[in-house]
Amino acid sequence: MLARFSRALLVAAGLAGLGGTAMAQSAPPVKIGFSIAKTGLFAAAAPSQLTAYELWRDQVNAKGGLDVGGTKRRIEFVQYDDQSDPSQAVRIYEKLANDDKVDLLLAPWGTPHHFALAGVLERLKFPMVGNSAASSQLRDIKPGYIWFPTSAIPDRMATELATMMKGQGVKTAAVTGVQLPFSIEIRKFLMPALEKAGIKVVVSQEYPPDAKDLTAVLTQVRNAKPDAILSLSYPNDSVGFMTQAKELGVSAPFQFVLVGPTIDFFPKMFGPAADGLITIGHWSPHQKAWPRAKPFFDAYVAKFNARPDYLDTALAYMSCEILEQAVAKSGLDREKLRAAIAGGTFDTINGPVKFDGVQNAITPTAFLQIQKGEFHLVWPKTVATSDFQPRK
Amino acid sequence: MIRRTAWMWVGLALAMAALPQLGGDYLIGLGITLLMWIALAESWIVLSGMTGYVSFGHAVFYGLGAYVMVVCWNNLPGWAGFLGAGLAAGLFALAIGYPVLRVRGPYFVILTYGLAELVKFLIINTEAALGKFGRLVFGAPPLATLYYLMLGLATLAVLIAWTVRRSRLGLGLAAIREDETAAENAGVPVARLKLIAFALSAAIPGMVGAVMALRSSYFEPLQAFSPTVSFNIVAMAVIGGGDDAPGPILGALFLVLLSELLWAHLPEVYMIILGLLVIGFVLFAPEGLHGRLQRLRRP
Repeated sequence: MLARFSRALLVAAGLAGLGGTAMAQSAPPVKIGFSIAKTGLFAAAAPSQLTAYELWRDQVNAKGGLDVGGTKRRIEFVQYDDQSDPSQAVRIYEKLANDDKVDLLLAPWGTPHHFALAGVLERLKFPMVGNSAASSQLRDIKPGYIWFPTSAIPDRMATELATMMKGQGVKTAAVTGVQLPFSIEIRKFLMPALEKAGIKVVVSQEYPPDAKDLTAVLTQVRNAKPDAILSLSYPNDSVGFMTQAKELGVSAPFQFVLVGPTIDFFPKMFGPAADGLITIGHWSPHQKAWPRAKPFFDAYVAKFNARPDYLDTALAYMSCEILEQAVAKSGLDREKLRAAIAGGTFDTINGPVKFDGVQNAITPTAFLQIQKGEFHLVWPKTVATSDFQPRK
Repeated sequence: MIRRTAWMWVGLALAMAALPQLGGDYLIGLGITLLMWIALAESWIVLSGMTGYVSFGHAVFYGLGAYVMVVCWNNLPGWAGFLGAGLAAGLFALAIGYPVLRVRGPYFVILTYGLAELVKFLIINTEAALGKFGRLVFGAPPLATLYYLMLGLATLAVLIAWTVRRSRLGLGLAAIREDETAAENAGVPVARLKLIAFALSAAIPGMVGAVMALRSSYFEPLQAFSPTVSFNIVAMAVIGGGDDAPGPILGALFLVLLSELLWAHLPEVYMIILGLLVIGFVLFAPEGLHGRLQRLRRP
């Protein structure tokens, strides 16, 4: 009798215990999946995106979780290495959706991966806000389940850059560049844009992605004495370009370097020699009109003890903000979420963002300049945080 | 015995054929990857396993096929791009085979690798001159269709490897591997046989590349001609072992499953293990998985 009673008591206590834990845990976590290039060609570039995701997750979880149509749920990441291979990314996203049954998706790093995923997302009917992808080809993608918050689209950049150079009185330019998709695409649009702006191209050179010695190219540039030097380079050869240009004494009042300067190590590595460089980027923490910009910058520096990449980290964080605000409205239903992303206006660290088809319809195509180690927007005037200063 | 083994392979092929009916997209995707490596490694052994001419540049045929497919896509019917890819890869092998197959040993290894890199940069330059920068493929066929195409290619590659090994051609190739000069003196038409083997081992990788271009719906030369493709093929053939059809199947199955188990959480470890495995097999089990299994069966 006593035994039976105590057993009943135990069961009751057990049930109470279960109830207690269930209540404490409240809603189950939200699973968010993505692939990231931990190995391979893009392994050096991809962390700038992962840090943005991690910062966002920690900030949201610190606030009690992601607002899913009114309920707060903690964020949990499901991530895999895609080995910098787009076909691997395709398989991973299929796995994330069908096998891991994640609730939401974030983007992988790089244009090829985004493009390879467009068809998969369409098939899965699973919306994803992209980030680190830029190509005029993205307009060919059928609008539906993928969006691109970037405004650094090659054809628009080419026109804007040429206009900006003309405004600075540039008459002659040297264009050097690496043979990678993004730089090739920019060159294609840049050459006619320069001609239209009345700027004469005095040197035009391309080199393969693994080129180490740019001396021959740079000697030509030095001998031509152009008003502007445009280096359509990627992080590796941007460093090579800077180092060797310094050794050979190659410089111009207007100097543009495509990809690399916005990464934290770059201004640290070159110090005053990087001052006055122009690069692509549409975000700066100094823009007062975007109230979320500076707090994001400060939180990032506090967490990682390094500055965010002004291009990719900012874009990655924007894609998280857009997702967060859309999910708060729509919940996790994929069709409702798709409609919320396609139709909404979002408050991001880069100001308001709204999509027209697959593209960001608000953020202007802009350029950054390094001024005393700080990144300032200098073009266009509507978002500029400082005036252009010629290189000394 | 032989009949029982044959039935086993037929059963395996039928099981693979039923997979799209049973599994979701993820399983079909995994199946495509597995079949792709089987097709590539089987094609590779027709040249390298049988003649001993180790190709470290088979990615060139894969990439070329992918390129032909994306160029033809939307301009020609799909099957034309598919067959064109195989034809282009085979013809390319014939064209370069005559000079390339004159060098042996390490020189051939380096030459094939260099050739793959050369073609990669030629295509990057051509695309740059055309103002192209990677090509998107719209309206690719559904996953199951690509799966059956790949299954067809893998089966064909296995049959070719199996048949060649048991034919006069295979005997000639084995003679070349053992002693090319002696074979030539004995009247084996070495130059012709090597060329045929080279073209045979190139055509299917070309078509595999074409299917994979549709699978990832994006073509970019750096990815399509990636040396990793060549390395993986060699690793699978070495680990699977031998110069006969079952070897690469075992090698591909083993490595694809291993990478599937590891890439989820230990991607860096996968590459380390792959390196150790290749070294281990070359040193301690040069006959590969297939050879080991056969020895176990016949002590």
